[in-house]
Amino acid sequence: MKRQPLARRLATIAIALPLASAAISAHHSFAAQYDATKPVEMRGTVTKVEWTNPHARIYIDVRDDTGQTANWNFEMASPNILVRNGWKQNTVRIGDRITVSGYLARKGEHMAIAGAVADATGKPIFASDPTDVGR
Amino acid sequence: MRQSAVRLGMLAALALAAPIGAQISVPSTPPPQTRAGGSITARPPAGPVPHKPNGQPDLAGVWLRRAGIVNITQLLPPGEKMPFLPETLRRMRSLKSQDDPQLKCLPLATPRSAPYPFRIVETPAQVFILTESVHAYRQVFMGRMHPPADELQLTWQGHSIGRWEKDTLVVDTVGFNDLTWFDNYGHLHSDRMHVVERFTRADLGHLAVAMTIDDPGAYSRPFTLRYTAELIPNGELMEYICDNEQDAANIDAPADAAIDAAKLLGQ
Repeated sequence: MKRQPLARRLATIAIALPLASAAISAHHSFAAQYDATKPVEMRGTVTKVEWTNPHARIYIDVRDDTGQTANWNFEMASPNILVRNGWKQNTVRIGDRITVSGYLARKGEHMAIAGAVADATGKPIFASDPTDVGR
Repeated sequence: MRQSAVRLGMLAALALAAPIGAQISVPSTPPPQTRAGGSITARPPAGPVPHKPNGQPDLAGVWLRRAGIVNITQLLPPGEKMPFLPETLRRMRSLKSQDDPQLKCLPLATPRSAPYPFRIVETPAQVFILTESVHAYRQVFMGRMHPPADELQLTWQGHSIGRWEKDTLVVDTVGFNDLTWFDNYGHLHSDRMHVVERFTRADLGHLAVAMTIDDPGAYSRPFTLRYTAELIPNGELMEYICDNEQDAANIDAPADAAIDAAKLLGQ
């Protein structure tokens, strides 16, 4: 509950993403780890990309309205699922400015699950097909 | 991009279809590689069942099961429910979502599947089922018997023997430990579980699988789960080393099965 005000400040646009968003994975129960009532959209700079299983992860520095910067850990699908959907290991690189939408974690601080990712111009760079497995 | 992927997938399917139709499992010319691991957005190829030189259906290929990953009951006949024994409900009632063995990167046991493909490789004496998830493999010993009960080790994936019944490969597995879950939901089983899988290639692009679970230690009667796997054209298994699991430490919630078991127990 303590996270929510911060999340609200960070959420430049809170949009009602469908539950079947890009990175929702069958590795674990979505509802157990993420809160579907707390969609977020954040813009920031990529500081690290982990191309690992069971999930790829993108870390971005996000500055809130008060000027404070926090490093957010966004869970993606696995590299295996991302690649089979057309994503590449270097699709997102350190230093890229990106916008990530998704849902806040219930427990982990500064953690969220990524739904869609757009580049600095707003162009979607990951839009998963609704028939993908792993959701 | 999607249309392009579908077109590439269709081309790949055509490239793959010709050699398989000629009863050769491995194409003599490598097909064009369009995407590492193959595309899961391409439609499975159409065509007749390929056969091996001995006349049996050829099950070789990279197959993807899409259904029943999160909850195995999706594979039951419509309206059928899992025949839990009361003790099974009591075990399930205490499950935590973070305790799922999958979140410890442990192997999955039949009938569980992750959303990753598997490859069937046939030799005369063994059939191998290679699963991308946690880089696991199963050995199916053709025409053999299970070890005697006092020699049977209880393992994560059990001991599998196989035989052909007409056009169906029948895989019989016993010797499971009781540590795995059937799904994310948290369906459990006992170490008395006996699974019979029936693999029937319906056509070039589809593999029909029926799994009958007989587990008198956890369920009051046998039940059968069914799914159809799709051939991934140009499919390859990819590396899956589970070396960055962060979810278990960040989940603190009852498993879905725990919530429902409490209701079924009237609590």
